[in-house]
Amino acid sequence: MENSYKNQDRHSNGVEETAGDENTILIKRTLRSGQRLHYDGNVVVMGDVNPGAEIMASGNIIVMGQLRGVVHAGAGGNEKAIVMSFRLAPTQLRIANHITRPPDGDTQETDRPEIASIKNGVVTIELFNVSIDRQHR
Amino acid sequence: MMSEVIVVTSGKGGVGKTTTTANLGTGLAAAGHKAVLVDADIGLRNLDVVLGLENRIVYDITNVTDKQIPYRKAIIKDKRYENLFLLPAAQTKDKTAVSPDQMKELCDDLRQEFEYVIIDCPAGIEQGFKNAIAGADRAIVVTTPEVSAVRDADRIIGLLEANELRDPKLIVNRLRYNMVKAGDMMSIDDILDILAVELLGVVPEDEMVVITTNRGETVVQDDKSRSGQAYRNIVRRMNGEQVPLMDLQEGGILKKLRKFMGMK
Ligand SMILES: Nc1ncnc2c1ncn2[C@@H]1O[C@H](COP(=O)(O)OP(=O)(O)OP(=O)(O)O)[C@@H](O)[C@H]1O
Ligand SMILES: [Mg+2]
Repeated sequence: MENSYKNQDRHSNGVEETAGDENTILIKRTLRSGQRLHYDGNVVVMGDVNPGAEIMASGNIIVMGQLRGVVHAGAGGNEKAIVMSFRLAPTQLRIANHITRPPDGDTQETDRPEIASIKNGVVTIELFNVSIDRQHR
Repeated sequence: MMSEVIVVTSGKGGVGKTTTTANLGTGLAAAGHKAVLVDADIGLRNLDVVLGLENRIVYDITNVTDKQIPYRKAIIKDKRYENLFLLPAAQTKDKTAVSPDQMKELCDDLRQEFEYVIIDCPAGIEQGFKNAIAGADRAIVVTTPEVSAVRDADRIIGLLEANELRDPKLIVNRLRYNMVKAGDMMSIDDILDILAVELLGVVPEDEMVVITTNRGETVVQDDKSRSGQAYRNIVRRMNGEQVPLMDLQEGGILKKLRKFMGMK
């Protein structure tokens, strides 16, 4: 009943890969409370990630919906990994070894896509637009 | 005969599954449908008390699943409605007294005779839940407008989907309109924003629920109460009628969620 995807056994051939060049899995549904997804690669969710749901990926995480659960991008230590969501309001957001959460009482909600990345050693949230996107390529 | 096996579930305890099962069953029977209510909350039998039928129980569900007696011997006819029946839970056993396969078989037997088989699910996500959903075609998820109840409802919807029970319908119970208006309670929109399932109805907080339950009656029979009206509306919606939500609970309630997200 536990709805967790295991890594599909497609290991990289010993070559060091940067975020973006790995396997990518597309999830065409909402991840609900109690559902966990661990993946060696990038994760794209076409749906929401609800509170109580969890995604851990060695690469990037893109949620084309509302992100309110816990996400961990760059789980193997990749500091270049990013998290992007149409509405970024995670319970907790982790990139590589950085663990962050929204400040208490933060009810600020944007209706625009945002992107989280590590900049100068801290997790930074910015509005997503194409010019910012280029910096992450 | 078209017949449906519907499980009423919630995850969190005490949000109104038994109340909902009793009211929908009574409402469907009053509308002329032949219905049987199955109490799957083994060990914490309740549905019989809510329906005022406790003193008529001789056999229970485990006698049927253990094949000691045919189900017809165990079901109890309602006091008021000829076409409403109850299959009571066992009080002295626990959830492991029935298996999912036995439940499936029981539901398939019941659907030969009844238009509606409504299963009152126990709280939680363990064996009792697995049993209760095993034979169901559809699910009704009950929640209250509280963050923890909604979270559990979300978990349950995920588990239902994993068990091929898709597109569950939602009932929001115990809504207090004044609190919602004051911003002190989750609104229907807030709830649908997270759960993204179809809303079957909204039942207000109403002391008449408690009063009727204590008499072994159901509020759906009470013409004057708002909660009774809410249950009657839900029954009509279950029969395919388009019934708008009651005035007092409105406020963009029917706003559909973002269909383009690839959700079910
Ligand atoms: N709309 C309502 N207004 C007021 N009281 C209500 C309402 N709905 C339910 N209640 C009361 O809430 C209590 C719990 O309801 P109920 O027993 O139906 O919940 P349940 O989900 O079946 O609980 P359990 O998980 O223990 O089986 C009961 O005392 C019931 O009378
Ligand atoms: Mg109950």
